[in-house]
Formats: sequence, C-alpha cells, structure tokens
Amino acid sequence: MKFTTRLTMALLPTTLGLLTLGVSVGQAADYPAPGDFQRGAKTWSENCARCHNIRGPRELRDDQWISTIFHMRVRAGLTGQESRDVLTFLQASNTTPASIGAAPATQSDGASVSGQAIFRQTCVACHGIDGKGVLPGVPDFTLGDGPLSKQDAILIKHITEGFQSPGAPMAMPPKGGNPDLNVDDIQAVLGYLRDTFGK
Amino acid sequence: MNTGIERFNAGPLALAIALALPMEASADAAYDALKSQVENLKKQLEQVQKTLKSYKKTSASKNDVAKLEKKVAEASEWKSPNTLIHMSGYADVGYSDSKDSSGSFNVGSFSPIFHFQYRDLVMLESELEFEVEADGGTNVALEYLTVDLFLNDYMTLVAGKFLSPIGQFRQNLHPSWINKLPSAPPGFGHDGAAPVSDLGIQLRGGFPLGGMRTNYAFYISNGPELNASTEDAVDFELEGIAAEGFGRDRDGSKVYGGRFGLLPFAGLEIGLSGATGKAAVTTLENISADTLSALSGEPTRDYDVYGFDFAWQHRAINLRGEFIESRIGSASGGTAPSSGANWSTWYAQAAYRFLPTKFEGVLRYTDFDSPHISEDRKQWVVGLNYLFASNVIAKFAYQFNDGADGSPADDDRWLLQLAYGF
Repeated sequence: MKFTTRLTMALLPTTLGLLTLGVSVGQAADYPAPGDFQRGAKTWSENCARCHNIRGPRELRDDQWISTIFHMRVRAGLTGQESRDVLTFLQASNTTPASIGAAPATQSDGASVSGQAIFRQTCVACHGIDGKGVLPGVPDFTLGDGPLSKQDAILIKHITEGFQSPGAPMAMPPKGGNPDLNVDDIQAVLGYLRDTFGK
Repeated sequence: MNTGIERFNAGPLALAIALALPMEASADAAYDALKSQVENLKKQLEQVQKTLKSYKKTSASKNDVAKLEKKVAEASEWKSPNTLIHMSGYADVGYSDSKDSSGSFNVGSFSPIFHFQYRDLVMLESELEFEVEADGGTNVALEYLTVDLFLNDYMTLVAGKFLSPIGQFRQNLHPSWINKLPSAPPGFGHDGAAPVSDLGIQLRGGFPLGGMRTNYAFYISNGPELNASTEDAVDFELEGIAAEGFGRDRDGSKVYGGRFGLLPFAGLEIGLSGATGKAAVTTLENISADTLSALSGEPTRDYDVYGFDFAWQHRAINLRGEFIESRIGSASGGTAPSSGANWSTWYAQAAYRFLPTKFEGVLRYTDFDSPHISEDRKQWVVGLNYLFASNVIAKFAYQFNDGADGSPADDDRWLLQLAYGF
C-alpha cells in the first residue's frame, strides 16, 4: 500500500547509492547460452511493439540487454529459447556499422543460395514476407517511390553497409546482420526484391 | 772540454737521437689513434647511456609488468561477472488544466527499476515510485519487489510483491513511456475495478501450442482488503477494494488467480484472467477510533474478479482493449455489514503512427462503473504524441469526461506530459 512521507536526508543517499550501482556493471557475460540470430530478429519484430514502442539494439550495451531481456521474459511470457534468441539478435546488432560486417562483401564464384532463400532467412523478420514491412517505419518495397526506386549501386551500398530509413526503429545492420553474405548473395537478394516487389 | 768519453758517448747518442726521432713520430700516431678510439668509445658510451636512459623511461620493469597483469586480471573479473546489476525505469513530468481547477505543473512519477541478476538462474526485480504531492510532500511506494527463479525454459517462479496479472494494463502498460496517453483509463488506478498488485507467489512463462504461442501467470496471494463507510454507524456500504499488495492476510483466506494469453498469429494477443478468494473490511472511512478497533472481527466476503483483454499490432496501427470486473459479496455480521458491490471498467484504444513523421495519434474510450455514482465515468481521450525517440515521448491529450454533475469525474481537462523510459 502506498504511504506518504517526506523524504529524509537518510533516504536520499541510499537512493543515490542505488542509482550509482546501476552504472557499475560489466561488459559481457558467458551466459545465457547463445541463441539464434534470425529467430531472435523475428521474435523481436513480432512481439515487442505489441505493448511498447520498439527499442533499437543500440540503445543498450550487451550486459544491459541481458537483464532487460530476462525482465521481459518474465513480463511477456517468453520462453527461455525465445529470450536467448532475442538477446543474441540484440547483442549482435548493437555495435556501430563501422565495427561489424560493414567491411566490403567478399568476392565469390556465385551466390551461395537463391535470393529468395536469403530474403526468407535474413530479411523477412523486419521486411515481412510481402515486402511491406513488419514494424512501423520499415519501408514498403511494393511502393513505386519506395526503396526499389533507387539504383542498384545505392541499394547494394545500403545492404552492404547498413542503413536507417526515416521513422524506422533501428538501422538495418550491414548485410541484414548476416556477415556471411558475399557480393553475389547481395546481388541475388536484390534481384529477388526487384522481381518480386518491384513495379 | 772534449774528452774521449765525451767523444765516445756523442756518437751513440747522436745515433740514438737519429733513430728515436722516427720512433717518436710513430708513437704520436699511435697515441692519436688511441685517443681517437677512446673518443669514439666515449661517444658510443654516451650514446648507450642515453639510449639506456630513454629505454628506462619507455620500457616496463618487472614490477610494472606485474602491476599490469594484476589490472588485466581485475578487468577480466568485470568482463564476465556472475552477478549483473542493472537499473532502468521511467519518469514523467507534465501540466494539466481543467474548467473547474487552475492549471498546474506536476511531476507524475519517478520510478527507478532495479535488477540484480545471478547468471541465468535468478533475478531480483524491484520498482520504486516517487511522486510529488500537491502540498510539496513526496509519496514513496514499493510498486513491486520479486525474486524470479528461472526453473526451466517454460516456467519462472515469481515470489514477493508483484503487479497484478489480471488484465494487461497494470502489469504491462502502466509505465508512462509505454502508456500512449498521459492518464490511466478510469478504473485501472488505485481503488478501481482492476487490482494493482498482490503479495504471494506466481508461476509465469510461455510455451508453443501448435503453430501458436501462449503465455500464462498463475498465483496465490494474500489478496485485497476492503474499505467501508457509514454516516450513522448503523448502515454501512462498501467504498472500495484496496488491492495493492498487503503484507498481511486479515481475512485468513488466500486468493487464487491468473491469466492465460493466446497469440494465434504474429501481432495479436488475446487474454483471459480471473481470481477468486475472500476479503474483509479493514478500514472504515470517517469513523471514530472506537469503532475502528472493533473491525478485527469482520466476517470474510466473497471476492471474485475476471477480465478479458486483447492487443493487436500491425505496422503503424496499434489496437487494444480490456474489460475487468471485481465483485464483493455481502456480509450480515461484524461491525460493517452491508450488501455486496461490483466495480467494472472497460476501454478500447487505437493508436496510429503518421510515418515517416514522429507523430502518433491516439483515441481511447473508457466506461467505469462503481457502486457510487459520484465515481462513475465515461471518458473519451484524444491525444497527439511526438516521439523524440522510442522512449522519449511528448503527449498532448484532451479528456472529455462524463460523470456526476459537478464532480471531478465530470470535469474535462487538458493533459500535457513528457515521459522518458530509461
């Protein structure tokens, strides 16, 4: 039950001490077990915005995401596996574009899988199977003046280096968060986008 | 003066001198060479000394290395601690104005949330709430404090004072950076139709069900207490249900309840919740201390609450709604006998993001019914939000209130709020 009191000088230092503790944290931990990045992106995009504005991965450090996700596991009734997947996605996506897979995509002898397979594995969590975007602010590929109205060179640069659309809750990570994509993979997925959603 | 000896010595002397002259010249050359060598050696020595001095300045000694190793070891301790300490929370400030009262600035609340986590086994969660009162005093409340034990992937034991899992608003939506309007729907606050918090234990979690997802929360708790009032100490009536996590169980009967949520497809959640148990009158309003002391013998009454809620998120659209009813049974004995009473409330809310701008429009309707007509209220709220960031939101809203004439429940008002979730 709520009670009323005037804050005493004894309470203030206690509170401030607790606040200070909040920033005395570590940088990483060896728990929980790693989850699946792609499943995590899907769970994140399908669940978090139902109750609150979605929080981008770069808002918190890796260790802060651990406690936050365990808190949300209890609040939202996530399973342990779902929470590990989301944590893996957030921890892998909260670095700056320059520090993760922003390196130029490697050359290869061809795409490892089809553009459709890459889209469904790497892109669909945020862009949706219909290409219209799952989250508020994710661009609609089917619009005539949407992202696909841009030239290939620009889109390949955005996919390779990452890009934040206006109003989107987070920047698309370089290569959609999949560092294994090579030049031909990116070309293949762009071809799939143009063939499937282009006007 | 010339003698034979002198003549004898003069020859060899002259010879020796003659021979010695070139030898002397040779010795000078050797000396010069030696001197040059020494000079070179001196220069080299000076260079070595200078280099050594510089080296001492820039290189680490064994002690330095040992100190460094210790610092690295200490830093490593923080890289992977078994215990994490984390703080989050929210705060809001605002301004409100209405026809029947003068406008005023206010501090809605400052609510730090603390997490103390031991690996992936257990987490202590606690939220405090600080509020500034009209007279300048400060309200302090412990909103919740639980120890969460992660039993397995599908089940967490939550023990302590927890937010009520009846419905969704209280347990998931009440933080000001999450609530899309500056106020709670009528009936979801203190002494409303929806319970606020409880003290006991819960089992919470989620599991897949075919192609769907589910979540659940089942609990046993001390339950609520009741307020009653009278004007003549003869006829009593129930004033309200205080369901805010009591650390005692005056009626001696536990409350059992929970919520089950079903997510048939991405973006949609449907929830059913309910609780049953006993409650007793523990507070009489506007009554003398003598009468208050007699309340220890109050009989228990039936306490039942049930609810339904839904939420649907699709791109820029967010729809949600909730219904909750609390029922208290009658009592014929004790100090404050009275008939039973019901409190019910429901709301429906729609929000839309005007992308790619940072504006969001919100519309909500609420209908709150209580046993007291002065508290009943129908309310429309229209709001416009500006999202500086997903967790920093400016809200502008206008409430159209329809309640008993002349009561606060009938007073339309402006509300402005700046909310920050951290």
